[in-house]
Amino acid sequence: MSFDTIIQYGHLLLEGTWLTIKLSGLALVVGALCAMPMAVARCSDRRWLSRPVRVYISFFRGTPMLAQLFLIYYGAGQYRHELQALNLWWLFRDPFYCALVTFALNTTAYQTELLRGGIQGVPRGEIEAAKAYGMSSWLRYRLIVLPHAYRIAFPALGNEVILLLKGSAIASVVTLFDLMGQTRTIFAKTFDFSIYLWAALLYLLITMLIVRVWRRLEDRLNPHLRQRTVQRSSTPAVAVAPTE
Amino acid sequence: MNTQVIEKNSSQALEAPLIARDIHKSFGELEVLKGISLTSRQHDVTAILGSSGSGKSTFLRCLNLLEVPDAGELIVHGQQVRFKHNRLGEAVPEDEKLVERIRARLGMVFQQFNLWSHMTVLENCMVGPLRVLKQPRAEVEARARYYLNKVGLDNRVDHYPSHLSGGQQQRAAIARALTMEPDVMLFDEPTSALDPELVGEVLLVMRKLAEEGRTMIVVTHEMAFAREVSSHVMFLHQGLVEEEGAPEQLFRQQESERFRQFLSTNF
Repeated sequence: MSFDTIIQYGHLLLEGTWLTIKLSGLALVVGALCAMPMAVARCSDRRWLSRPVRVYISFFRGTPMLAQLFLIYYGAGQYRHELQALNLWWLFRDPFYCALVTFALNTTAYQTELLRGGIQGVPRGEIEAAKAYGMSSWLRYRLIVLPHAYRIAFPALGNEVILLLKGSAIASVVTLFDLMGQTRTIFAKTFDFSIYLWAALLYLLITMLIVRVWRRLEDRLNPHLRQRTVQRSSTPAVAVAPTE
Repeated sequence: MNTQVIEKNSSQALEAPLIARDIHKSFGELEVLKGISLTSRQHDVTAILGSSGSGKSTFLRCLNLLEVPDAGELIVHGQQVRFKHNRLGEAVPEDEKLVERIRARLGMVFQQFNLWSHMTVLENCMVGPLRVLKQPRAEVEARARYYLNKVGLDNRVDHYPSHLSGGQQQRAAIARALTMEPDVMLFDEPTSALDPELVGEVLLVMRKLAEEGRTMIVVTHEMAFAREVSSHVMFLHQGLVEEEGAPEQLFRQQESERFRQFLSTNF
């Protein structure tokens, strides 16, 4: 294996990496913003609120992201005049925005579902206590339910971040030069398969970084769990001492 | 807040912060409460006894509207709570905001403590007065620390509930209720989830509160507590008050055969 290809084209690979990060990062942020109200709606007793969210989720979870991307990228062109009339054509004309919209819609569905699990996992008694202290449903959500739900859903959300980052490789099929797109063009020029190895390495590096950051955040978010484990390790010594 | 109503009824409210009349509640076909009344006067400590399934917890939960009664009258701090029935036939309060205000005046202590696990003990005590009563932080914190000190948790204020013992958690929950400075404290079997050796510390705190003259309504299995601390005892059986009265009298002589049996098995 020679390093000629990576030396010559490395900068392109890094450019692609940046696009990948930008694309999936933006999609994740948009998804996170949309997922919170949608998860609350999904958990509502009111059918007219929860039903549309359920339909939305089952569509985006039940179809391949590639199909969703094609639907938006190629499908939008069919409605060019309508979209122009709505002043939305700039969004659907650009492959970057098409990919962004697709990924955001997709990850919103997943994040909503993860957060729903979190909301439903909040101990009933703690919600009841919040009621008993006169908190309105708004206060209950803000102070008790959502902080809890995010803590419960947090590890799974980290997984979603990684899945979307890797899934974003399909952006390369709609002419975007993300990490995967750059890799493919470099390979087409050089026929040096080692470039795929370098690309894989870069993906691996980013995901490892995400895992680390996520673990840190999780620790910080859960002091009540962290301190308990510290205590647990110290209790046997205390408990054993008197018996000996 | 509807201050006018409170002022008009304040003398009555002061005398009897909580009045329940003829409370009925059914879950589906099952009629759990068949008309129970209770007047809680200032400084009253009411003990509610009964075997499981007698409706005593449900009755207590009706008082702060965690369960909404199907029928009956509920007057808290001089304000009457009105109910209506929704399309599904469930009882719902007419005025949700009034319910929230009333709940803020009634301190609830649960069997399972129900502390908010992502907050420290101090935060647990402070969040209600800060966010619900919208009182200034410095004042609330001083009060929270005062009550935590009182229940003997002054060295645990920064701990999370998950690394306190059951007894400590329940004492923290009592401090949380006290920090709201409620008119009436409601206790729903506060020692039933505790290990036997931890029951004493919680009862001791409750005894202190009673001696201070706090108005309390306590659903309990602790007969000694009911006999020694309470000023009024109610014995529920199958959703009705089977017998009630002053503890000195009631524990000496029982009219009801069921109550006698209950006492003989629970002492």
